[in-house]
Amino acid sequence: MTGTQPVDFDVIIVGSGPAGVSAAFPLVDAGLRVLMVDGGHGARLVPPTGQYLNVRNQDIGNYDWMIGQNFHALSQADAVSPKLRVPTHAAVFEGFVSANRIVADNFVAVGSLAPGGLSNAWGCGVARMTDKELASFPLKPSEMYTSYAAVAKRIGVSGGYCDDLSDFFGLDEWSHGTVPIDNLQNSMLMRYTRSRSALMQSGFQLGRARVAVLTTPQTQTDRQACNLCGTCLWGCERRALYSATDDLQRLHGRQGFFYRPGFLVEQVESQGNSVAISGVGTDGAGVLRARRVLLAAGTLASTRLALQAINHRKLVAMQSCPTAAFMLWLPRHLGRRHEPAFGLGQLSFTLDLGADIQAFGSLFNTTGIPVSEFARHVPLGKRYGVDLLASLLTSCVVGNLFLPGSLSNVSLQLDEDDQLLIWGGYSAEVEMLMKEARHKLRNSFIKLGALLMPISFKVGRPGTDIHYAASLPMSAKPVLGQTDQFGELMGTAGIHVVDGASLSYLPAKSHTLTIMANAERIATHVATNMVLIDN
Amino acid sequence: MRIAITGATGYIGQRLIHAARLAGHEVLALSRRPVIEAGVAWQFFELANATPLALPSDIDAVLHLAAETRNAAGLDLTEQKAAQLLIDAAASVRAAFVFMSSQTACADAPTAYGRIKWKIERATIEAGGLVIRPGQVYGGPEHGLFGVLCTVVRNLPVLPAFVPAPAVQPVHVDDLVVALLACLAREPSSIISVAAPEGISLTAFLRAIARGRTSRCPVFIPVPVLLLRVTARLLGSGLSRKLGLERLLSLFALQHMNTAGDLQHLALMLRPLSSGMPRSGRGRRELIREGRVLLTYVLRTKPAGALVQRYARAVETLRINQPLQLPELVLKAPALLALLDGSRNIDTNFRCELDWRINAAVMLAEASPQGASRFLDIDNTGSCFRGTVLIVRACMMELSRRFIRFLLWPVLSRVGRKGVYW
Repeated sequence: MTGTQPVDFDVIIVGSGPAGVSAAFPLVDAGLRVLMVDGGHGARLVPPTGQYLNVRNQDIGNYDWMIGQNFHALSQADAVSPKLRVPTHAAVFEGFVSANRIVADNFVAVGSLAPGGLSNAWGCGVARMTDKELASFPLKPSEMYTSYAAVAKRIGVSGGYCDDLSDFFGLDEWSHGTVPIDNLQNSMLMRYTRSRSALMQSGFQLGRARVAVLTTPQTQTDRQACNLCGTCLWGCERRALYSATDDLQRLHGRQGFFYRPGFLVEQVESQGNSVAISGVGTDGAGVLRARRVLLAAGTLASTRLALQAINHRKLVAMQSCPTAAFMLWLPRHLGRRHEPAFGLGQLSFTLDLGADIQAFGSLFNTTGIPVSEFARHVPLGKRYGVDLLASLLTSCVVGNLFLPGSLSNVSLQLDEDDQLLIWGGYSAEVEMLMKEARHKLRNSFIKLGALLMPISFKVGRPGTDIHYAASLPMSAKPVLGQTDQFGELMGTAGIHVVDGASLSYLPAKSHTLTIMANAERIATHVATNMVLIDN
Repeated sequence: MRIAITGATGYIGQRLIHAARLAGHEVLALSRRPVIEAGVAWQFFELANATPLALPSDIDAVLHLAAETRNAAGLDLTEQKAAQLLIDAAASVRAAFVFMSSQTACADAPTAYGRIKWKIERATIEAGGLVIRPGQVYGGPEHGLFGVLCTVVRNLPVLPAFVPAPAVQPVHVDDLVVALLACLAREPSSIISVAAPEGISLTAFLRAIARGRTSRCPVFIPVPVLLLRVTARLLGSGLSRKLGLERLLSLFALQHMNTAGDLQHLALMLRPLSSGMPRSGRGRRELIREGRVLLTYVLRTKPAGALVQRYARAVETLRINQPLQLPELVLKAPALLALLDGSRNIDTNFRCELDWRINAAVMLAEASPQGASRFLDIDNTGSCFRGTVLIVRACMMELSRRFIRFLLWPVLSRVGRKGVYW
């Protein structure tokens, strides 16, 4: 193997999710020849069209998108998240674990081979890391700033609303208007302004969620504004919710951009001046060469490819946010009718736990979530459980809670068969922190007229958050199994890790925007360097 | 897991592939005839033609089910050699090896069949593999020895009742495949016996076949075992083997297997003969009935026909154990299902399966027009009073359900236990 092998492309990007597309723009803009590959195959089911309540009442293909012709929802009856049961997302999650040779123990391993990756089914939560949170990254916070701006403007972020979470999210300068919130959460926000100082003193802050959803149509693309149709869980037919497939569409037709779906990368190897990726495509196995390769296959898949490239078979740590879910009941709203509502985060909150630990969570309307999702947790006979929920849910709000990823205890290892073994777990203090969080949430929400339902506060299994990061962290002085400030993998040349795997730290807040901004930043640097060399 | 299965087209093999696929495993079928099924790869394999074979490197386990059941002499060595080659092939890809043996396996078994099984068992254990000894396999399609017995019961005008009656320890083919898959995860011991802990007489077993599979009421004639032995001696070993007499006699030499411990290790509860024996063709009608009951329980009203059909199809596609044996009273009054729903007293396996099915009924019901109006509470007028009344009613019903369940505990605890309803 020598460096004189002809290369097919300047850069190959493995993965077409949020990280992959964010990295593609600066490279294509610089006039480089870029190939993007993903393991996607098969057509996706279309999400329902129209107002959720109408669609449900008039039975417009309900069975197809709620259960699926092949009983998808039933076959996933034990899956940890409602999203994993949604037939319209079946192709998003399908085959990832086995195709990427992942074996997980006490850990829910989720990823995507599909075009657009996990962004097809994400919660659209966006946030910018504060300078303090970026302190462990080997870069100046200002370097991330321009990338945050570029990405936020491109994908469209809503929620710009001067409130107590403005600094936490740090996105208001690029945001457009907020999505209207429902009556329940509106009443909570009203009450919050009344008892604000007491709540803030106890470490609880409430504000609008910042979400990657459009409230005005995007002129450059044909994405429409959110109309509160409420089908968010099943996929946004108007494409108001951001998905990396929107960017993929934008990239199509750009000079120098090439896209090859259905090519599953099995190995990445640096060979002198070029990097070869070998894998299996729809037309058989093949090898592709480029001057540089950017790994954006999702934290788990990228980690396996990277560890394989440097033949690193020792344990590597990964971060994943311990998570919990809960339900609130607002008795004053009992008997209310279902109203059309936005299905993703409407309000968000932060909660200070002990010294230096900040938890984060969002609140959701229950209309667009199947009652069966709640019925499985209610300790009543199913007949009476449905009776109860049908009357109760209209006055309920559900919420989630994330703790910083540093509180997880997840190890990865590449075994001799090149499988990625994952052992999941939480740090010992998580149990206490979750108890404290439950206690504090109960006391805070009661001031907002909402009761934390007994036994509804449930801590998820490790990995349920699907916020995996920092397995190959960027470091100022990287060692084997880490990456440098531009995500370049130590121990080899020309391979950059641009997805969650190369983040140096995982806070409780939503991390997707940071992954995208980091990918954009790294790709900008790679593009500049390559163009300089060429000239 | 990726599992290679020999004897994939056989009686147990076919059921095993179905169950393995449902459990999410990938299957490589090793057989003479190709297996065409979604998610199943095929590789040629012949027991009688013992040549070294190469398995794909990603195989995690090899389940050796293929067996020579014809009474041909000279095949003994080939079968043993084929097994050894398989053991080697499994070892070379570091896959677990499981050998499907027989209750007859013994160093000095009266049949060659039993002696070969014993030799292969030794080789398996030596290589660190697992041996499964099933009892009398029955149920499902009429293949294998079970198929032969069904044909006999159907066609013979009178049936022999051997005196003294040999005991058989039955095991349903679908319970056996569950055990096969479970032993890969649990590895309780090197020899695992899978059959009913208590044997029943062969006569009772044949009677069960007659009841479950035919409309006949068979007539039994006592046949002294001593007579058979004398006949076999007179005919000589060659002729009695040809006539199948040797195989018949091997029934009387069966050692009783202590299976309780192994079943416990595998967390396996065997279904009783009465529910395992009836032909599965009757299952659809029973599934429809079961679906109607479960959906009525969830919806509080008679479910639409299309919805019930969907339920039946879902269970057929996704579950191994077909119709659930619900008490007659519950079939008549679906509201009584509330007494079983989530109850901790009833048999664990039965409860898990019932939970899955009620949950499936909830999900299917919700996706229907009837469900939309019930689950989204379309009649809601927006009144707080109505909401309060409905919630209080639901809680009161739940309380009374729990109270009645407490009172009926002695009766309910019998459901699913002792195999009465499972």
